[in-house]
Amino acid sequence: MTGSHRTLLLAAACAAFALATLLIWIPADVDSSVIQLVRRRASIGDAMAPAVAAVILLLGAVVLVFERQREATPGLPRESLVFLGLTVLIIALSFVLMRWTGPMLTVLAGLDYRPLRASAPWKYLGFGLGGFVLVAGLVALAERRFSWRGTLVAALVVLGLIAIYDLPFDDLLLPPNGDF
Amino acid sequence: MQSFYKGAIAALLVAASTTFGSEGAQAQGWMPSGPITLKIAFAAGGGADTQARLIAAELESRYGWTIIPEQAAGRGGLSLLADIRDDPADGTVIGMTVTDSLGYSSRASEAPWTPADFTPIATTASFQMGLVASAGSGWASFPDLLDAARGGQVIRFGVMSAKLADQAYLLGEANDVAFNIVELNGGAAVMNGITAGDIDVGFVAGAQSRGVASGDLVNLASALSAPLTQTPDAPLLSEFGLPFDSDGYFVFIAPAGLPEEARTALAEAISAIASDPSNPAGEAIQRAFGEASTLSGAALTDFLTRQYDDAGALMDAASN
Amino acid sequence: MSILDHVWLGVLAVFHGPALFSLFGLPIPVALVMVLLGVVAGIIVGATPGLGGPMAMAISLPILISIFGFRPEALLPVMGFLVGVMKGATLGGAVPAILFNTPGTPDAYMTTLDGWPLARNGQAGKALRVAHASSVMGDSFSDLVLILCAPFLAVMVERFLDLPEKAALLILSLTFIAAVMGGSIGKGLISMGLGLLIAAIGTGQDFYPRLTLGMPSLAEGFSVVTVVLGVLVLGEVFKSLEDGLRDARSGSRPDTRPRGPQALTRADFGRILPYVCRSAVIGTVIGALPGIGSTLAATLGYTLGRARHARRGGSPAFGEGAIEGVAATEAANSAVSGANLIPVLSLGIPGNAAAVFLILAADSIGGFNPGPWVFRVPTTGSNPEMVVAFGLFTMMLVANLLNWTLGGAVMRASGIMARIPRSLLLPSVVLVTLTSLYVQAPEMMTLVVTLIFGVLGYLMRRLGISPLPFIIAFILASPLERAIRQAFAATGGDVWFLVNRPVSAMFLLLGVWVIVASLRRKSPR
Repeated sequence: MTGSHRTLLLAAACAAFALATLLIWIPADVDSSVIQLVRRRASIGDAMAPAVAAVILLLGAVVLVFERQREATPGLPRESLVFLGLTVLIIALSFVLMRWTGPMLTVLAGLDYRPLRASAPWKYLGFGLGGFVLVAGLVALAERRFSWRGTLVAALVVLGLIAIYDLPFDDLLLPPNGDF
Repeated sequence: MQSFYKGAIAALLVAASTTFGSEGAQAQGWMPSGPITLKIAFAAGGGADTQARLIAAELESRYGWTIIPEQAAGRGGLSLLADIRDDPADGTVIGMTVTDSLGYSSRASEAPWTPADFTPIATTASFQMGLVASAGSGWASFPDLLDAARGGQVIRFGVMSAKLADQAYLLGEANDVAFNIVELNGGAAVMNGITAGDIDVGFVAGAQSRGVASGDLVNLASALSAPLTQTPDAPLLSEFGLPFDSDGYFVFIAPAGLPEEARTALAEAISAIASDPSNPAGEAIQRAFGEASTLSGAALTDFLTRQYDDAGALMDAASN
Repeated sequence: MSILDHVWLGVLAVFHGPALFSLFGLPIPVALVMVLLGVVAGIIVGATPGLGGPMAMAISLPILISIFGFRPEALLPVMGFLVGVMKGATLGGAVPAILFNTPGTPDAYMTTLDGWPLARNGQAGKALRVAHASSVMGDSFSDLVLILCAPFLAVMVERFLDLPEKAALLILSLTFIAAVMGGSIGKGLISMGLGLLIAAIGTGQDFYPRLTLGMPSLAEGFSVVTVVLGVLVLGEVFKSLEDGLRDARSGSRPDTRPRGPQALTRADFGRILPYVCRSAVIGTVIGALPGIGSTLAATLGYTLGRARHARRGGSPAFGEGAIEGVAATEAANSAVSGANLIPVLSLGIPGNAAAVFLILAADSIGGFNPGPWVFRVPTTGSNPEMVVAFGLFTMMLVANLLNWTLGGAVMRASGIMARIPRSLLLPSVVLVTLTSLYVQAPEMMTLVVTLIFGVLGYLMRRLGISPLPFIIAFILASPLERAIRQAFAATGGDVWFLVNRPVSAMFLLLGVWVIVASLRRKSPR
């Protein structure tokens, strides 16, 4: 597939999305119409802005069809998708650890996490482990190997963020303590 | 380097905190079982948010509670209500919003709750909602505006919510004039619109006081059920055939079922801080609103119920 | 009292204000100390990708207010710190853009285009000096324009722009962006349409939040900072991480160690000066228009600079490490900050996020209500708000002076992070970004949404779609929708409100001309 073929594919995908938005999404998921009658006056309804946006998207797709000879679209090789998948996986795993480490450990200790969400050391558990895994995991991905340097940096970044946001300010909450 | 800057700020904070005398923990019947989350229905950094955070700080220093303020802003306070509704009703979660969110906004959005699904705790300040025009308009009172409209002048009428738009519409109906009602994004935007000449008149909920004092703005009428504190001579809109008022307050609430003991303790604590101008929170309220307005208990519950019923009547009247 | 008396009172309010401490018997006014702290903090946070000035301002405002209280004397110290952060951050934003190819602030994105190639050629020190000089020159010029023109321009803007004209002006700026940004107009429109569509989710006037598919977590829409940091910072970090991976595999890891002289010579200065002057004017003009921020100024400054450079056959070309490219961008985005206060002071309408926090500070503390009366000369006595305004101007000039003298050193010191390998730094940036977002909007959902926008930003970059029209359209979407609704309502539902008034019709014609002209210019190629 050449760059101009990919451009055509991109234009087709955008046009399809724009049409689906105009014909299905907006009518089904917006309460008022493009122009509505409120208090005996015509006024602009909530459907106006997304409809205009979808028309611009469609217009862009049409212009792109005419531009396809000049505008090559770089491809998305399989290795890019693998890299992206791994990155998202590492970050998602760190979110799960952030969210659940504290509550799990409190359950094991026979306690409830909510009253402890602003007390050390409980409030640092989720952020500490999740943040550490996030940084250390991405460093390992970038360097394609596990390194002690990476784990050290991850630990330092986590400690630094605690020092910046948590120690001086009572009102600021580290993840995940605002969710409780 | 960052910790240097944070450290410097922290040092200044410590220095500043010694200048405010702590009143020490008072004996109090009720104690929360843990930190209290204070959910705030306003964007961070604004006047209302600052008021909430100052009250939280004063509660901490007076009673030794731990209070964690956080933002739950959006959709005119509805986001806060949806958020707080299922939270534990033991005093560890409270919210600060405006009374309107439990009235017109809840009603118009067909929200799955009524005021009875929340425990109102206490109000802190009331909105001085006036109908404001620029002094350059030459109008001194609401009848002058009506004369201009009847004489053929197109009147652009700025409002900041659907409720006020309904009121503006009914006000026009009752006086046989049609306003071009423009919905703007908050009271500051209405003020700016009036000053820039984009709109001719608008509802402003207290921010007009400085401009009125300097003679740049005029309160044409009071949109409240009582005269405005600053300009008691301005007529009430009810005198012009508008049977709905815009009375409203900043209010602290909790989920339904808050024990009476906790409700009373919180209400007394918040009311005392709001009406005492010698602490930063009370000082801020006095500066912005002239005085605190503290409703609590049955009076507050009654107000919210009445407001909810009024909202239904207003919507019906405006949709005809 | 005349305006000049007010100027003097404003200067005195800063230099003779309450003293923090005495140095050798000389009282040091607290306002000046706060400006200094703000500038240093601003450069450092600006230099830290994912922090940025607005975020630092958002975090520090409540702290500042609890320190200084609600007295009118608090206005100058608090606004001094915010002004310092605002100015420092624009300067600092260039540091990671040049050293790590990661914009520290969104408006420094264009700085990466030439700053990073310069750094790869071992010219990072020179690039930083160019950025410093251009940024401070643009900023100083803009401040002078602000101080000289604010009172008069305030009256003019107020007199000539009604609601339909404001709507037409926003439409004109969006058409302009679609036409000039990125190589392909089709991709520019796609990027812009997506930005407008995503901005529509969860916003609007109906009580049912539109386009939310019934999901309550979308009901409040996406916050600007989530989208901007997701698409611009995370998207870029993901791409750079992968590029770093490829480079490492092919063994050609970018080397940014200094090679050759790093000083800014007189000849260099002569090369950049014309670009700085043009960009300073562009940034100042754009900053003075309400609702259009520094990102557009940077893009325009860069695009027009590139055209001039190409016409003259300058070498190296823009995008390959031309110091003129860094200068054109930095002068333009820094020149926004001063002029931006013109609409803020005259109408209370901010042109960018930084100006929002000045309004919030004034609003919270009281005693200063941005609006036309700020520059009204009273018949008797002094106008305290005009004194505050000139106090603010004085502090801006002081901040510029600090940027001139200390700024370069602090900038280069902030560049110590250049020694940290990207494979260690970029993952750390991800955590810093996510944590600072969580601190502002404490919900795990915020982080999930940012990650999703990060993936979107990565895909757009890989498909050759510029993320900038997306971001600008996202930011301008809500002011535009509001302006159109208001203009339509204010004219009593007149469908032709945009074309039956001379000024708005002119804006629209200008927009059509821009599109046609750029299509013509691009088609013969």
